[in-house]
Amino acid sequence: MEEEWIPKITLFCCNWCSYAGSDDAGVGRKQQPPTTRTIRVMCSGRTDPAFVLAALLEGSDAVLFTGCHIGDCHYISGNYKAKKKFEMLKEVVDELGLEDERLQLQWISASEGSEFAAYINKVTEEIEAIGPSPLRQEWMK
Amino acid sequence: MKIGDCVVAWSKDEELRKMGASGGLVTSLLVGALETELVDEVIALRKISEFEGVPIRTSDTDEAIRSAGSLHAAPINLTKFAVRFFEEHPDGAIALPVKPCDCRGIIEQAKRRKIDMDRIYLIGLNCGGTMDPITTMEMLEKMYEMDPKKIVEEEILKGKLIFKTEEEEKAISIDEVEEAGYGRRESCRYCGINIPMMADLACGNWGAGEDETFVEILTEKGLRLMKSAVDHGLIETAPAPEKGIKIREKTNSVMENVAKTWYEKVFVPIEDRSERMKYYMDAMEDCIDCEACKYVCPVCSCDESKCIGFYDPMDSHKISIYHLIRLLHLADSCIGCGQCTDVCPAEIPLTILHKRVADRIQAKYDYIPGIDMKTPPFFEVE
Repeated sequence: MEEEWIPKITLFCCNWCSYAGSDDAGVGRKQQPPTTRTIRVMCSGRTDPAFVLAALLEGSDAVLFTGCHIGDCHYISGNYKAKKKFEMLKEVVDELGLEDERLQLQWISASEGSEFAAYINKVTEEIEAIGPSPLRQEWMK
Repeated sequence: MKIGDCVVAWSKDEELRKMGASGGLVTSLLVGALETELVDEVIALRKISEFEGVPIRTSDTDEAIRSAGSLHAAPINLTKFAVRFFEEHPDGAIALPVKPCDCRGIIEQAKRRKIDMDRIYLIGLNCGGTMDPITTMEMLEKMYEMDPKKIVEEEILKGKLIFKTEEEEKAISIDEVEEAGYGRRESCRYCGINIPMMADLACGNWGAGEDETFVEILTEKGLRLMKSAVDHGLIETAPAPEKGIKIREKTNSVMENVAKTWYEKVFVPIEDRSERMKYYMDAMEDCIDCEACKYVCPVCSCDESKCIGFYDPMDSHKISIYHLIRLLHLADSCIGCGQCTDVCPAEIPLTILHKRVADRIQAKYDYIPGIDMKTPPFFEVE
């Protein structure tokens, strides 16, 4: 039986903000699609570009970086490092021919549950519109 | 002599002057640095044939003298040899002749704390390009109709590539051989950095007479190196003639323009996203996981390589993660030296792939690797 394709989104969440933010979205019963695979990291700066590349190659249709707003980092400068890594990675991913929507960076704080849910909804719609990632193998579910 | 001076210089030793290219100055400088104990070791290229040279690290002056002469068909980058030296002798000093790409590699390694710039003497050599030994031998047979084994000397003069055997001498213009697909390596054709202004000395035959070398003294270290050789009675110098300085500038600007046209010819942008994806996938498909490109790369500097840490040949990814991590790692530091393409047994045009990505990022951050000690954009966090 042919299974219907739904987007698979890898989400790197900072322990101190967006992970709590996603918790807040759950507690607040905000509706969001079951498309994300959340990976908790202690800081958005811990998200190694290699993790992102691995996620894309292993069948993710999109990878999202989420972290504390600039200036709010629990470790003072972690999100600046995340931003730098993201910017460099973005150029490489773009040069490889992946669409802009497949790699995104968003700052979400611990109290922004509704923003979190809205963001996941938005990204899921975007990915549904552009279809599966060209890096995904056909046999990957 | 002072910093910023342009001089012509040559070796006092008559035999060395004839043996080395352009007056044997570089060899004399290496010998002088060893004899005055300015350095512990020098790196030189031991000549096997016109098409083969082996880099050696030595503290023996005779060995340094034997390395005299230029080899255009032995494209070797000496950066990793200098890195090994500092791994073994953290407090040592070393001198070596460098092409602009060697020099840029060394500076990028110094930024990553693998080389101490205060204790490395860089004798820069003007470079119009190097040639791949195998294609050169093929070219000799097909275009020059000469036996590669009999070649005793080769030379690049006034846009012509000249090969000499014991009996005869033949010259064909570089444009003509490059049109036929031979001549300089692809990475050299589009390289626009011909005079190593980031080294300690910039030596070359542009603007110099027969059997002498044009030298521009660029740093304190370079001055020390020249003085030690002069004081030791190894070299003789004279102020550079005005005409020579002009010829050198003109040659450089001609070479830069040639490089620009080649660059536009090689790097045709691929506008369509899916075509770009296909281009990278098709190119990297042939990879046999030998990791030679990582081993030889002059700007690679991880102690424990991240590119292989995430990689397993059993993965059936559409693009190897090994190459993707390398593309990212070299994005700010790739100098386009062409070593990876040279060593690749699957003949993947790696340098072009790396440079396509790197040029975008280097342009975005307004950063040119290996020409000064500016912090790489990856390390520059607000």
